[in-house]
Amino acid sequence: MRTTSTPPPAAGPGRRAFLAGGLAAAGLGLAGCGASAAGGRTPLRQWNLFTGGDGARMVEMHDAYTREHPGVELRPTTYLWGNPYYTKFAMGAAGGRAFDVATLHASRLRGMGAGTLIDPVPADLLAEYGVTRDDVLPNVWDKCVVDGELYAVPLDTHLVVTYYERGACERAGVLEPDGSLVATSGPEEFLDVLAAVKEATGHFGVVMDTTGAWRQFWSLYRQLGGEMTFDGGLGLDDDLALQALDFLRRVCDDGLAPPASDAPGTPANFQNGIAGLMFAGNWELPTFQTAGMDFGMRPFPGIFGAELGQGDCHVLVLPHRRTRDDRAVRTAVEYAAWMLKNSIVWAGGGHTPAYLPVAESAEYAELRPQAEYRHAAEDVQFDPEAWFSGSAAPLFAEANSVMAGVHNGSATPEEALARFRRAAERLIDTPEPV
Amino acid sequence: MSATAPAVRRTVRRTPRRRRVTPVGAAATVSALVLAVLWLVPLAWAVLTSLKPEAETTAVPVRWLPLEPTFAAYRSILARGDLQQWLVNSVAVSTAVTVLTLVVCVLAAYGFAATAFPGRRALFALFLAGILVPPQVLIVPLFDQMTALGLVDTYWGVALPQVVAPVFVFVLTRFFEGIPRDYQEAARLDGAGHLRVLWSVVLPMSAPILAAVAIFTFVQAWNNFLWPFVATNDPALMTVPVGLGTVQGAYGIQYAQNMAAAVLGALPLIVVFLLFQRQVVRGVTDAGLK
Amino acid sequence: MTVPAAAATPPRPRPPAARPARRRASLAGLGFVLPFAVLFAVFLVWPMLAGLWASFTDRSLARPDAAFVGLANWRELAGDAAVWRSLWTTLLFTLISTPPLVAVALAMAVLTQRVAARLGWFLRFSFFAPFLLPVAVVTLIWTWMYQPGFGVVNGALQAVGLPEVAWLTDEDTVLAAIAVTTVWWTAGFNYLLYLAALQGIPGHVYEAAAIDGAGAWQRLTRVTLPLLRRTTALVVLLQLVASLKLFDQAYLMTAGSGGPNYAARPIIGYVFESGFTGLRIGYASAVSYLFFAVVVAVSVLQFRLFSRKEAE
Repeated sequence: MRTTSTPPPAAGPGRRAFLAGGLAAAGLGLAGCGASAAGGRTPLRQWNLFTGGDGARMVEMHDAYTREHPGVELRPTTYLWGNPYYTKFAMGAAGGRAFDVATLHASRLRGMGAGTLIDPVPADLLAEYGVTRDDVLPNVWDKCVVDGELYAVPLDTHLVVTYYERGACERAGVLEPDGSLVATSGPEEFLDVLAAVKEATGHFGVVMDTTGAWRQFWSLYRQLGGEMTFDGGLGLDDDLALQALDFLRRVCDDGLAPPASDAPGTPANFQNGIAGLMFAGNWELPTFQTAGMDFGMRPFPGIFGAELGQGDCHVLVLPHRRTRDDRAVRTAVEYAAWMLKNSIVWAGGGHTPAYLPVAESAEYAELRPQAEYRHAAEDVQFDPEAWFSGSAAPLFAEANSVMAGVHNGSATPEEALARFRRAAERLIDTPEPV
Repeated sequence: MSATAPAVRRTVRRTPRRRRVTPVGAAATVSALVLAVLWLVPLAWAVLTSLKPEAETTAVPVRWLPLEPTFAAYRSILARGDLQQWLVNSVAVSTAVTVLTLVVCVLAAYGFAATAFPGRRALFALFLAGILVPPQVLIVPLFDQMTALGLVDTYWGVALPQVVAPVFVFVLTRFFEGIPRDYQEAARLDGAGHLRVLWSVVLPMSAPILAAVAIFTFVQAWNNFLWPFVATNDPALMTVPVGLGTVQGAYGIQYAQNMAAAVLGALPLIVVFLLFQRQVVRGVTDAGLK
Repeated sequence: MTVPAAAATPPRPRPPAARPARRRASLAGLGFVLPFAVLFAVFLVWPMLAGLWASFTDRSLARPDAAFVGLANWRELAGDAAVWRSLWTTLLFTLISTPPLVAVALAMAVLTQRVAARLGWFLRFSFFAPFLLPVAVVTLIWTWMYQPGFGVVNGALQAVGLPEVAWLTDEDTVLAAIAVTTVWWTAGFNYLLYLAALQGIPGHVYEAAAIDGAGAWQRLTRVTLPLLRRTTALVVLLQLVASLKLFDQAYLMTAGSGGPNYAARPIIGYVFESGFTGLRIGYASAVSYLFFAVVVAVSVLQFRLFSRKEAE
């Protein structure tokens, strides 16, 4: 993290007077301390929700950015992933002077107030810095457009995938000669693979975050061709939803997966060899690389059809500003374009770059195991569209809390579905705040 | 609510008694020391953790003393620079809140205690009722109002709402009313205006209560979390509790660094307390109890 | 921090009722009251009224306009299980934190009073210093202490052969864990109040009791505690209101999540969440007013209880 000892000019009138007054009154004689000149550099206050592997990569990119931009004073701030971040985002944007550019999930654009809390990205300015619609996958670009206006610059696509540990899979006899996991089709074939791996590990076949079951559920439900709509009530295919939930119940019931494994526990379980396979977001990759594990990755298995996995995009957005500042917007847009063009570093964390010149580069094609699942990003399954839907949004939280019961056996799929319906109906009845 | 408060006088001191070492006395001493040491365990644990290299912090079983003591965690925290900024902000905000609170509350209390004006009783009753309103009730509408006024993410937005402390108007009014009026009357007869009477008669006689209010307000403002947390989002404007509580390190949780930040964040008031224990204890007790 | 409660002892107290007769009516006094009155109006009265109005609208953080919705927010509140659940969490926390906060503080004060004077400095530091820590420092330290695996609390449990407890991630323990932290953090304030009261008990009272043959225990239960009744009433009142305002440490120790299955989300946590995370200013204002009603009700109830006791 960089120092924040220089006050942002956008902090409003009276800031310096206040500091000087307060400090003088305190008798510290530090009146000038908070006001050291930025030497004419443009401040760029960036907010993000990345810690761990992603955080380290963002720091690496920011170091490079700073070296190339001596005229910009980049000040990144990290807040805790999920509600703490989104809450600060909404409050900072409502205040209109807290930050200049921020990361966000594409699925949250509508719910976080595109047009009120989030300002549009000037597409012509972005094009000036070399990023246009043609440089990004169409499904991803469309996700950044709300009511015909561009509100976000997509950095990556990330989704739930399959991790496999080669030692256990080798012993289970489920590896191809080239060391990749065998492809399966249909639920029974995949369960056979899990049974074989369970035999090999002595504990479980696969481990997944049972407190974050929405990702698994949405992947399976979409493989079955299920849709979810919220116009005038919850539109959901009960039969398909029950099939998807029953699969989650079955893997745990049959002892193929642990009935309870939380978000930090899941990668730890995989690393400890308790299971040979893991369903998890691609962002866990650096942990196992650092640990020196022999593992591979492939798309989420096609249990009910195509290998579709739930996912989202990290995007960069411009917060609403209280007072217009063209220089700050220009700096922020240039920064966003720079991040896209240098997203090969970001890809090291497992995310698939949204910027096609990077995603299609030879350098990215050589990254292992990223190349094994890169095509899955083209068919990423975004969460259903609603203000209460998306990463860390209320629907996601309700689904996770309800569906954890299917994994641990405290609720049948039918009960879980009924509870999910009630929770979703309540959200639909809640007056829309955006 | 205030009427139930007993007026405990500190002037009556327990006359010292000669103590022999009795079994009861020894037991009391031992219990007191055990409790006091137990109470210091969290602080000791924080300090010891902050002196460990990061790798040692998660060792199992738990080891109290660092094997290789180091100031690395402190160096990392100071190199980030955030904490220094937050300390500066805390000093500025707490000082401003304290000074402004003293000024406006003293003026108002003098107005109520020494002058008469239309609506005096009604206004005093309104302020009294304000004591019942917990600041927590106001966070949502107040934030909404601050966005309208453009005061979110400014120092004024953090400080001004904290200045509204009707309880001190009440405390000071009662105190000023107890000052013998003869002095004030005499000064008035000499032609002194209200401000002059306040400045050269009332205030000099009120030094202890003013100190108590000042100390209490400063400690309260220094440690206030909720309103500054709501009113500031830009880390450059945050106070120590808000910054430490919300801003994350990019590399995830690092316990030695967390504890180093905690120790540095705790230090200012602890040092003040060590230097001025008697005054702080009196200030908190006087403003809190009487 | 607790709100101070009553007027200070003036140098020579006189009944305030005797004053107004000697006041000369003038408008000058208004000028003195004006600065505070303006701040009071802008930062207390206005938001109170604005919040009341907002509770009848669908006001949002993410939309400039708001529409009048009548009693919709209040009806929703009545049927919102999360409101009542979080209100219960607040009350439960108040119930489990107040007794130890009063009892521990009393024990500390009695012990401090009993031991040799040269230990007093050390005891006062040890018992009161935590109260001076910013809440984020307290929660950083305790979250670290409660850590499973390598935290010092679980380390101690394991050292004596007990199983680990997932203090902050188990819905049955999280609120108790936060209460323990709160006792450590704020007992020092009540301790100072008790200490001051104890110092106000004249020594001859004890001497008289000793002459009557009262032992140390009898002196404590028959003399000290009865004399501290008024102080205890005050401490309990201040503590109840302070505990009802639970938010800071609960928010920070659960990383803003409200804890497993929202077991540590107090009513103010729900206000914060519906207003700022959920963007619904109108609805959150209605919930704020519910909380306000509870605080006023508890204060009034207590006032009546204590004033009746005093009268007896």
